Amino acid sequence: MRSSFDQYFDDSQVFHGSLTEIMGTRFDLVIVGKSRDISGIVWQSMTRELERLDAMLNRFVPSTEISVINKTAATSPVNVSEEIWEILCNCRTYHQKTFGLFDITLKDFSQLELHAEERTVSFQQPNLFLDFGGYAKGYAMKQLKAILEDYKVENCFVDFGNSAIFALGRHPYGDSWKVSIENPFHKGEILGEFTLNNTALSTSGNTPSYTGHIVNPLSGEKIEDRVMLCVESEDPLDAEVLTTALIAADNHQTEKIVSQFDLKQTKKFNL
Amino acid sequence: MLKKTEKQVDLGLRQFIKDLGYISGGAALLSTIPWLQSFTPDTLNEIKNEKARIAVIGTGSRGQYHIHALLPMQHAEIVALCDIYPPNLEEASKLCPTARKYTDYRKLLESPDIDGVVIATPLNWHALIVLDALSAGKHAFCEKSMALTMDQCKAIYDAYQKTNKVLYFCMQRMFDEKYIKGMQMIHSGLIGDVVGLRCHWFRNHDWRRPVPSANLERQINWRLYRDSSAGLMTELATHQLEVCNWATKRIPQSVVGMGDIVNWKDGREVYDSVSLTYRYSSGVKITYESLISNKFNGMEDQVLGNKGTMNLATGMYYLEGVDNTGNSGIEQLLSQIGNKVFAAIPAAGSSWRPETKKEYKPHYIIEGDYNINDGLSMIGAVKDGSDEILSAFCQACITGEKGKDIVEEAYCATLLCLLGNQAMDEQRRIDFPDEYKIPYMNF
Repeated sequence: MRSSFDQYFDDSQVFHGSLTEIMGTRFDLVIVGKSRDISGIVWQSMTRELERLDAMLNRFVPSTEISVINKTAATSPVNVSEEIWEILCNCRTYHQKTFGLFDITLKDFSQLELHAEERTVSFQQPNLFLDFGGYAKGYAMKQLKAILEDYKVENCFVDFGNSAIFALGRHPYGDSWKVSIENPFHKGEILGEFTLNNTALSTSGNTPSYTGHIVNPLSGEKIEDRVMLCVESEDPLDAEVLTTALIAADNHQTEKIVSQFDLKQTKKFNL
Repeated sequence: MLKKTEKQVDLGLRQFIKDLGYISGGAALLSTIPWLQSFTPDTLNEIKNEKARIAVIGTGSRGQYHIHALLPMQHAEIVALCDIYPPNLEEASKLCPTARKYTDYRKLLESPDIDGVVIATPLNWHALIVLDALSAGKHAFCEKSMALTMDQCKAIYDAYQKTNKVLYFCMQRMFDEKYIKGMQMIHSGLIGDVVGLRCHWFRNHDWRRPVPSANLERQINWRLYRDSSAGLMTELATHQLEVCNWATKRIPQSVVGMGDIVNWKDGREVYDSVSLTYRYSSGVKITYESLISNKFNGMEDQVLGNKGTMNLATGMYYLEGVDNTGNSGIEQLLSQIGNKVFAAIPAAGSSWRPETKKEYKPHYIIEGDYNINDGLSMIGAVKDGSDEILSAFCQACITGEKGKDIVEEAYCATLLCLLGNQAMDEQRRIDFPDEYKIPYMNF
């Protein structure tokens, strides 16, 4: 069950909000240096936005717009909202720029037809479905970033299930925010440390308890390599999309993909 | 910490206490540092127009270090200096030309316009001068260790019970911000139960001062001879054993050890290499080592807990296995901010942290600018608490309020040093003698 809680520390002017079971994970927000009231308002706006996006993009909940598309688009074209339309077009752009390695159909993006005039989508084959697992958190982060800007939040740490992180400004006792990446196969082995300052960090990879959840859309094969990929970028959506794409990419593809984006850094760890 | 450029009344100590978070109400902090409870902002304000009239007895390198600290203090005034070695007296006199010069401290003590004396003499003089100063009605601040023998220490302790004068010993770690905050963390359970303590002090230096003529050897290099010094134990270990007692709130019951002159075979009488084990009644042990012909290991005061390690000298701590302060990155982040620590928090993969010997990530006791004593100076390190404790003494000279626990801590630490020397000299286990136990001690 989803639950939300928040706390405010007067001494340090730190707000912490936490939301569980959102987009399949947990969401945490830490704001530094804002009043209790402002922080509370920001937290409310964010919670509402995340719930709205979850109600739109979650394919495991039957009532969402995406579930409706998944259920009916193979039979007849489905009229979609403006926002979903923009998202689908954006996913197509990412698909092209990643040479097919980012694919919300997980197998054949060409089977998804977008009809611009009517703003409808249809599937060319019956077993197709859309999955925003490698996209939604990045998209959400971008929306949340806009909320933070609206309320002039300068220092905060936004954490989506530890795999998508966005940090503005700095830690109260540092000049940035630091996160470390641990090898999930060797507890205690720190693979690297990232210094975030107005940047987002997305991570994907296999863990001992969760392997084979990433599929190479070109070959259809599950990726079971012990690798972990981290992408840092000012754009949280780029970071999120590319971790998934690059984990399937070979060196040549990686080079070509990375060159098309303005990334701060990418790191691939063999575990 | 103390900012000397600001010459305002007691600003140094005020800022220091403020930095500790004392003013915003810290009952927990106060139980860690009861000796700071006199220094409330109100007290500081009450005495802002007064000056303690201070005399410095022993104006060698350490005495001059204190003079440098006293000069900018608005609530202190150096009125007299005393030394039996003329070059040192002259050096000090250049620093405070208006202060009267003495070569006999007893004459100095007769002077009615002196509130307190700062004693920075060789160890064998401590007891005599401290006792005479108290008898003369002076407040006294004396360098560590307390005295050269256990009987002298006991005599000072007993005299202190009867006097209404203030007595401080320069146990500067008690006023060192990173030690205070680190102790608070230990006492709050951050590193779990204290299961061991490891302290060491390594230098590579002969511990000698140049001697202008041979007949001054014993006077100038007093640290090297047993009639004036108890060697590494009272000069170095005393601070570290005090830290151990402070951390455990206990006194070890027994000690074994070995001491030797390994490298500096130059006629000195005190060991240049000591290794000791102090044992508490719980079985927890202090492992103490000091060697002055290899400095690789530097100086460290480590308190080992079953959940983490506090390295007070470096101002860092390390946690064992799963961090009990939080199981997610965010909880760690919040705990860090609460402790004013800036460190990486884990992202991705399985959340949280090393159960390994190789990978300990340091956390900082205090963030920002703080000083680490590399242990190499023979005079004193910058911002190690010495100036704060001296400033506190000067205020106590005005208010007349005794410093809580300071004499007791100095007594316990010095006794442990001297018992350690006895264990090494006699090559046997020494149990804490009943006749030197005081009510302050918990075994």
